[in-house]
Amino acid sequence: MKPLDLRSHKLAICLGPGGVGKTTISAALAVHAAILGCAVDVMTVDPAPRLLDALGLDADSSEPVEVALDGIAHSRRARANNRARLRALRLDPKRTFDSIVARYASSDAARDTILENRIYRNLSGALAGVGDYMAMEKLLELAANPATDLIVLDTPPATEAIDFLDAPRRLLELLNSRAINLLSAPAGLFRSQLKMVDVAARAVLTAFDRVTGLKLLSDVQSFVRSFDGMYEGFSARAVCAQEKLRADDTAIIIVTTAESSRIAQAREFLGALENAGLRVSVMVVNRVLAELPDAAELASAKIAPSLKKKLKRNLADYAALKTREEVSLSALRASLPTGALLMVAPDLGREPRTIADLAEIARTLRSI
Amino acid sequence: MTLPRVLFVTGKGGTGKSTVAAALALALSRHRHTTLADLDRRLSAASALGAIPENSTAVKVSDTLDVLALTPPAELEAFIDRIVPIRAISRRMLRSRTFGYVTAALPGLEAFLLLERLRIMAGDAALEDRYLVIDAPASGSAVELLSVSSGVKGVAPAGTLNRLANSIDKFLGDATRFGAVITTTVEDLAVREALETAATIRDRLGIATVAAIINCVPDLLFDTSDLAALSPLGDHARLAVRRNAAHEQAALIVSRLADAGLPAISLPMMFTPAIGRAELKKLGRVLNSELLDR
Repeated sequence: MKPLDLRSHKLAICLGPGGVGKTTISAALAVHAAILGCAVDVMTVDPAPRLLDALGLDADSSEPVEVALDGIAHSRRARANNRARLRALRLDPKRTFDSIVARYASSDAARDTILENRIYRNLSGALAGVGDYMAMEKLLELAANPATDLIVLDTPPATEAIDFLDAPRRLLELLNSRAINLLSAPAGLFRSQLKMVDVAARAVLTAFDRVTGLKLLSDVQSFVRSFDGMYEGFSARAVCAQEKLRADDTAIIIVTTAESSRIAQAREFLGALENAGLRVSVMVVNRVLAELPDAAELASAKIAPSLKKKLKRNLADYAALKTREEVSLSALRASLPTGALLMVAPDLGREPRTIADLAEIARTLRSI
Repeated sequence: MTLPRVLFVTGKGGTGKSTVAAALALALSRHRHTTLADLDRRLSAASALGAIPENSTAVKVSDTLDVLALTPPAELEAFIDRIVPIRAISRRMLRSRTFGYVTAALPGLEAFLLLERLRIMAGDAALEDRYLVIDAPASGSAVELLSVSSGVKGVAPAGTLNRLANSIDKFLGDATRFGAVITTTVEDLAVREALETAATIRDRLGIATVAAIINCVPDLLFDTSDLAALSPLGDHARLAVRRNAAHEQAALIVSRLADAGLPAISLPMMFTPAIGRAELKKLGRVLNSELLDR
């Protein structure tokens, strides 16, 4: 089985629930493509400390850092082609957001209004989709570089697959929606233009403010209002991002593990993406059990009977786990759209610490 | 060990948080009436116990155990029903997109309402002498959830909300009423996240950490002489070594967690094709003897 080849793609997006090794798989795919001769950027979101070390990143690497591929055997083609390189960076949503605000704000005053807004400062992370949108924004920035062949994008862990891919549209809709009218219309004015539900929504928010004494509503209003002039800039970027996601040379990869609750989540991801008209190219099941040893080998082994008995039990124990895993995998296979690959990445048996470990993961990745 | 009234089970994704929450609820229900509140949209803990609760109505699993689903949207719905008396309008509003954006723009509202609900439930549980086990979100989101009230106090230095936030803080900080249970596996990443979560919960938020639970620890099957005799056997030897290594790793982790002031309990790996009620009971028995009888 050939490992996944992303050379014909410009963008690979890894989506999946938290804790399944999405960052590891993203990094492994990037390393592999670089070994094959591509100029690759990999953007990670929340890498584990050792993976950070492996990629040579520090906590502050929000710009691409060249990753040394020392000691990694390059393919012959890659050696002939001096494009091959790997760069890694870490997404910093807050910093990216700050820089976008600065870019699109109509004036310095508008920029400062946003940056100093209570909602933006304390709680902007809670504003749905901001982190996701920022990843998309950074992606467009990276994609503008003609020297890059492939961008591998790791995404924040999500309960909903669509959260990430839908972020630009949602942010746009928020900025352009009736919510703006609802929030920015002073009480009593333009009431007639608001629908009944809007009046009710406003009543709820006003009541919340009254109960709480928070005066959040006015802060939200000024926050939303200060985005007013920035709509055009955001809108153009969001359209670009949407086109990128749907491009033929974009691979959408769902990463999961074989644990039953993760598989259930992965299947929900599949459904949601399909509904959104997005095509999943690959489903990667990470950390599956390695192949079990041969039972026949035990029968002929010249060892003490008591030890043989223990080995038989050990084999039976892991075979039970393997059965559990296979049940999950076949459920997953049944829900895969036609044309999508189901791949498994066998458990490395240790935490990946080096570029060589990542290359090994990519090499052992196989379709089933 | 005296347990707090409310046990908040969290941990890194994939460490078996829901399984542990279900087993813990099953174990506690042998002593006192217990309610499992499932905060996970997929209701994995509740369905492991064979119950699918709807809304926030409790479903009976046994005479002493019931489960209910607790979701932020449902709490918001209840809050809105109190404010908008006409149900048809409140329902339509909840479904409207516009309103979705507005609640998204009012950060922490849903989480805050959820915490307030837990505080009220804990009060009821105390009156009725019940335990409340919460299958909470994975550690990152759980810490966010638990921090909401301090965040609210930051933006509302006075007023009703500040008072509410204060009473939530007092509830979360009272070790007889609220405590966190943190799940991990023998994997280094999970252990590290457990330690970080414990430190944040205890030191930054002032919330008691009851125990760490190391999930999926295989029993020790081979002794040293076995392993020496095995070496020519290749793959079989590797599998044996792997099992023993995980077991020994767990022992190291127990002391590492203990050093950080976190009592740790190892739960055995269930070598079965599925995790059903029988397996949960087995895990529950271990939790019982380690948590309650000790």
